[in-house]
Amino acid sequence: MKLHEFVVRRLLLLIPVMIGVAIFTFAIAHIIPGDPAAIQCGDKCGVIVDYTDDGEPISAYEANRIRLKMDDSVTVQFWRYITDLAEGDWGESLLYHRPVVDVVKDAAPITLEMSFLALFIAYPLGIILGIISAVRQDRMFDHVSRFFAIAFVSLPIFWFAMMLQQILATGTEHGGICDPIFGTEGGCFPIYGRHDPSYTYPVDGYAWYYPAGGTGFHLVDSWFVTDEKLATLPSEWGSNWLLFKDTLTHLALPCAALGIASAGSLLRYMRASLLEVLHEDYVRTARAKGLSEFRVVIVHACRNALIPIVTILGFSIGGAIGGAVLTETVFAFNGMGRVAVTSIQYLDFVVIMGVTLITSVIFLLSNLIVDITYAIIDPRVRLE
Amino acid sequence: MRGWDDGKGDRDESRRRLREALSQSKSDLSRSWKIYRRSLLAMLGLFMVVSVSLVAIFAEDIAVEHPYRNLQDTEDKWSIDYEPRRADPFSEECDWHEQKIITNPNSPLFSEIVVAESDDKVGDDNRYYRDTLSVIQLIKLEDSLGYDLNLSLLSIDPSNSSLLVLSPELYGNTSLYAGVWVTYEFDNEAMHHWWLPDGHDVCIFGTNDQGHDLFSKVVYGSRVSLKIGITVATLTVIIGTIVGSISGYFGGRVDEVIMRICDIFFAIPGLILAMAFVAAMNQITSLTIPIWLGILFPIFVLAAFSNTYLNSNVPDDDQVSDQAMGLIMRYRGVLLALVAFFFFVVWMPGASWPDFFGISESRSWRAFASLGIIAVLGTIILADRKFILNTSFEGGLGRIRDSLDWTNPWRYLTFRTLAVFVSLALLFSFSGNEGEEIVLIKDFDRLWKVQAALIFTGWPGYARLIRGQVLYVKEMTFVEAARSVGARPGRIMFRHILPNAWAPLLVAFTLDIGGTILSASGLSFLGLGADAYTAEWGLMISESRRYFLLSPHLMLYPGLAIAVTVLGFNLLGDGIRDVVDPKNRR
Repeated sequence: MKLHEFVVRRLLLLIPVMIGVAIFTFAIAHIIPGDPAAIQCGDKCGVIVDYTDDGEPISAYEANRIRLKMDDSVTVQFWRYITDLAEGDWGESLLYHRPVVDVVKDAAPITLEMSFLALFIAYPLGIILGIISAVRQDRMFDHVSRFFAIAFVSLPIFWFAMMLQQILATGTEHGGICDPIFGTEGGCFPIYGRHDPSYTYPVDGYAWYYPAGGTGFHLVDSWFVTDEKLATLPSEWGSNWLLFKDTLTHLALPCAALGIASAGSLLRYMRASLLEVLHEDYVRTARAKGLSEFRVVIVHACRNALIPIVTILGFSIGGAIGGAVLTETVFAFNGMGRVAVTSIQYLDFVVIMGVTLITSVIFLLSNLIVDITYAIIDPRVRLE
Repeated sequence: MRGWDDGKGDRDESRRRLREALSQSKSDLSRSWKIYRRSLLAMLGLFMVVSVSLVAIFAEDIAVEHPYRNLQDTEDKWSIDYEPRRADPFSEECDWHEQKIITNPNSPLFSEIVVAESDDKVGDDNRYYRDTLSVIQLIKLEDSLGYDLNLSLLSIDPSNSSLLVLSPELYGNTSLYAGVWVTYEFDNEAMHHWWLPDGHDVCIFGTNDQGHDLFSKVVYGSRVSLKIGITVATLTVIIGTIVGSISGYFGGRVDEVIMRICDIFFAIPGLILAMAFVAAMNQITSLTIPIWLGILFPIFVLAAFSNTYLNSNVPDDDQVSDQAMGLIMRYRGVLLALVAFFFFVVWMPGASWPDFFGISESRSWRAFASLGIIAVLGTIILADRKFILNTSFEGGLGRIRDSLDWTNPWRYLTFRTLAVFVSLALLFSFSGNEGEEIVLIKDFDRLWKVQAALIFTGWPGYARLIRGQVLYVKEMTFVEAARSVGARPGRIMFRHILPNAWAPLLVAFTLDIGGTILSASGLSFLGLGADAYTAEWGLMISESRRYFLLSPHLMLYPGLAIAVTVLGFNLLGDGIRDVVDPKNRR
């Protein structure tokens, strides 16, 4: 199979899965109790808002039912749901009174920024420790690192996050181990939030100085804040670097909480994969040629051992988005996880549908990219 | 002509061979134990799991207190010297307080007002307080403008620290609608009892904001967590095995459809899917009966099928597969022992059956359920005539021991085993004293929703795993041999493929118990799991968030408990993997 055939095949396989996910979310939304028409009008459902042509009164509730086209059959509603999805109309949130697309558009970059940074830390850490662990097999380092790898996978992510807050973000007077070093209050890391609260709107923590049409990734956006806006900020804030640093310090603890489990599992995968490769013939050949052990491990063995690691990337993105639900709750990030939790608490099923759909799209796309990368690195995959 | 002795010799000979085979399997047990023992981490994991299980079983004896008893009420019982740790919101000397309360303009005749609820106040020492103090005596009552009112207008209900407006004079007195100022004396002593730091002599983990002993709560929490973990893992394994083996064995279009469905499940992050599922089940008010059916139905189906196929009179092809797979087959005895351990030692007592089935409230419920079980059981036994025909005690225990077939655990998944299981269930449902019963979970159905959601999201993983194993084993020669002697698909499945495919399943099962405990505590943390103040670890952490800076011990100990339990199961799973799959051992 050629590479482009493989890609096309994989893309075609995505279609039934995406339709399935859409059916799934639609079904969940229809099982969840609660009448959206009643939720939207609240306690004013009985108010007469209009009259039909025959002079019959229409209450606010009935008007909502008509507007949401809820009297159609389920199949018609489903078909309209699919076509609306395709046109980019994902409905309007019952809780936020905003289009779901906007809600997701605001929330997704926050989660993605955190997840990507977490994986960005976890991958090198897990791989390097895994290599050392495999090379020093059955020695002290190996045992210790293996134990900690399993231990980190076993930690409840929300508890670990809260312990990080307690230890690193509260300051020594509250039992933490460090005092401010980044100019923050409390410990050496900010305790929650995405920005220093003194320079955001108090209600939603919105940092107004970031460009409106930006990427939403504040690690990137902070470099594009214009000088006029910087001038309005206090002097100890008035530079791109300081804004970047602020975002980064706020991201440190959530990323540590989110990445530690990935790092642990990666260590184990990398160790197993490298040990397998180290028993191959070509490694023995390389050793027989008199190459240094470092060169054998890093150049010959590691390159091949890293290939299966690529596949884990796809799963760890899914895992990170799932873990973000808990991390964002602890650190008060308004990302997708928080939106999902809030919408489920208030039974705002339009948002539940949107969030479920967008997370699965992100997961499927990242897996697709991973699979294609894998097919490029290791052409044997295409032969199956 | 053959005499008595010839026949006896034959019998002895066969006995001897059987015993030899049994001792062989025993040596396999000890050998796998040797392999397992080599790994320090695996032994540590076993130790952790056994300890947590023991804690769960003997929770009543270990815990010093009822998990939901406010220690404030039990001071005389325990005679603990509760030191006043907190500085009270109102100073020590001053034991009166002034508060404005708003009377209800619609019914001032009879309005009940809770006083002295200091709502999340931050005191001078940066501690939060949220409690209703008990009011001893009213000192002064003023209207909003500062004029004195007749004190007899109000009376105190000391039981719930509320004021009861009784006088008809209030009716129509519009000046009181803006509220009245009450000055009252409150019980300064009452505040000191319910908030202990960790490191106390009796309450070694301290108490929480409700005055519950944290140590007892953590101990009882092990029951809830183990129960959730093992129940969910067992049911997902059963469902996953059924679906995965169908998918793997029949292949083709069936396989394609099932795998695409699994893909859909994989595409949505598990936690979000579980959350949505819990929300979707919101309108289901009682899950007890569906869950009963959900547990029993798959077991019935599996038992019925495996029983039929294992006893079918196909030419004797048993030996073929037993030898073919080598190691995996030989270590099945260990695995069976482990499963038996989980079921009879951890799951059943740990689940505390009356609690488990949600019928602990009244004995009549329990009796009703037991009658139902007896009826079902009776029907099964009557229908399964072999049960009666085969039951004979000739030869005593030795016969029973000799007839144990260590090499094929699936054989025991029959109606007879089921009968034993259900009778044990009965036994447990009748056990427990009505009066002193500890209701562990305050709202059964909410926790069942979590379990149902985790089962719902978990089975595709197992289905995929089993499918892979079945595809692998299907190509073995012994399957071909069995097919060639005329065995039907069901028998091949249950007699030849599944017994050889279940080793990785056990590893996944063990690891999944830990994973399930993590997910369930995560859901509880998000407020979707157990009811408020249930002894559930995730929920306890969630409730400690309010006292984050003040009392880190409230979140430390439940979190450590989760970590130790999950770590134990993960290490155990890794150890078992090393035993059953030596190829993977590095």
